[in-house]
Amino acid sequence: MGNIRIIGPRGSGKTSYLAALAYWPDQQRRGKKKKGVKLQSLNDETRDLAEKAENIILEGESLEPTTVEGGIDALPFYSFGIEVKPRFQKPELINVAVRDYPGEIFEELANPASANPLHQEFVDECLEESVDGCLILLADWDKSTDKFTSRALSKFTKQMDIHNRVNNLRVAIAMSKCERGELWPGRLEPSIDLFQQHLPKTLATLEQSISSKNLRFYAISTFGVLGRNDPRPNREDVIGTGGTNSVLREPNQWKPYGLLEPLYWLSKGKRLGYV
Amino acid sequence: MGVIYVGDRAVGKTHLALELANPYGQNVKVLQPDYENLKSFLVSDADSTKPTEGIDFRFLEIQAQLPAGSKSVTVDWVDTPGEIWRESWQKNNPDEWQSFLENSRKSEGILLILNPYRETLQGSMASDYSTQQQWCKRFEKWVDFFRYDCPKARHIVICLNKADLFVDNLEQEASKLAFDPNGSAMTWRKRHSYILQKYFRPIQGQIEQINKSTRGLSVQCFITSIYNRPLLELPWIYLASFLSKY
Repeated sequence: MGNIRIIGPRGSGKTSYLAALAYWPDQQRRGKKKKGVKLQSLNDETRDLAEKAENIILEGESLEPTTVEGGIDALPFYSFGIEVKPRFQKPELINVAVRDYPGEIFEELANPASANPLHQEFVDECLEESVDGCLILLADWDKSTDKFTSRALSKFTKQMDIHNRVNNLRVAIAMSKCERGELWPGRLEPSIDLFQQHLPKTLATLEQSISSKNLRFYAISTFGVLGRNDPRPNREDVIGTGGTNSVLREPNQWKPYGLLEPLYWLSKGKRLGYV
Repeated sequence: MGVIYVGDRAVGKTHLALELANPYGQNVKVLQPDYENLKSFLVSDADSTKPTEGIDFRFLEIQAQLPAGSKSVTVDWVDTPGEIWRESWQKNNPDEWQSFLENSRKSEGILLILNPYRETLQGSMASDYSTQQQWCKRFEKWVDFFRYDCPKARHIVICLNKADLFVDNLEQEASKLAFDPNGSAMTWRKRHSYILQKYFRPIQGQIEQINKSTRGLSVQCFITSIYNRPLLELPWIYLASFLSKY
């Protein structure tokens, strides 16, 4: 089973990403079942998350933030069974267990004075021997974000070194919410068109610390765009804490992009074929 | 999730609660306590609602029909008399006031019921209601309450009650806002924007400020009336979407 952790700043869309996986809108569409991929929730927490996707995201609201209250033991494990049938290949079944971390854990990495033992507990758990991979979601791309993220990831890679995980932990960095107009065209080559373009410091920090066989870059969009011929983001930004929250604009046209690829690589260590 | 149910005197909190428990519900049913049981607490022999005297602590077991299916949730319901917001009441009932504050500081859901303001009403009964200026000033105190006494609140639901008095065509408005578990015309966000701009305009800025002020806090506005079941149920369907199953 692929044992994966998801980290990233607050509001980067970690829980929404998992909710979209659990619900898997493609599978819900009548008469348009994509045979290439089937997704199944394997435990109650994941089924609850799928319900939240249906009751909250599809009803035009945003999920509540994940909190540190209750500590690491209170964080749910989401378990998925994913059957992929790449073209011209046999079907493959992978089981993935994912834990979604509160955003402040990532943000605290960038704080040199931080000495919160609770946060260290989260980081230690994230880098345990049993963890196969880490998906890091980033949602902003301005200069100050690049500095901030570079600092946070520099500390993260140092922690990887302390835990002897530099050579055997796969790290997938994903630009989240890539349905935004500035990012959508760059989704096909994210390392060049998104990270090199917008987050060069972050890119350099990662490439210096993690070998290329254990590092991949992705672009994902939990909400997707309105249509194949309509690249407008299927999202609305509404007033929320810390700035804005994102909600689905047209629930009937919910079509996420790129959700599976990072999880597949983190679990299997190889690229997902065309499905 | 604890939900505290607050509002000034005579805004209709008790009537709304009783009507919610009416067994002829659509998408929301109150499983416990049953209607007759609740009625015996809340209605006087003369068939009018008793003014809430002390702070009532109850469990409500609610079943809501959501898009993903039926969901049952238990709510710790703290019902307050309108008088608790008066300093004189607080001085004369210090223990009850402290107990209420302890609950509000733990509560994740706040249901605030408001009266309409005078300028939206017609007829002689309008004079029984606050002016817009008084209404706005009173709301500032609610904002302070949310900010200082509700640190754990994740959802604030504000219901402008007695919509039958200020909405021209209540049935038409209700059908526009209606919730259908199989697919509604409006999302929650669109309902909130519509209601906020149409009915809460004088305090729209303050409501948006509350939304921004605390991480993880969501404010949702509704109009309610005991004479329209779909509107009455909406705040509870919204809350049930977020509450944990029992």
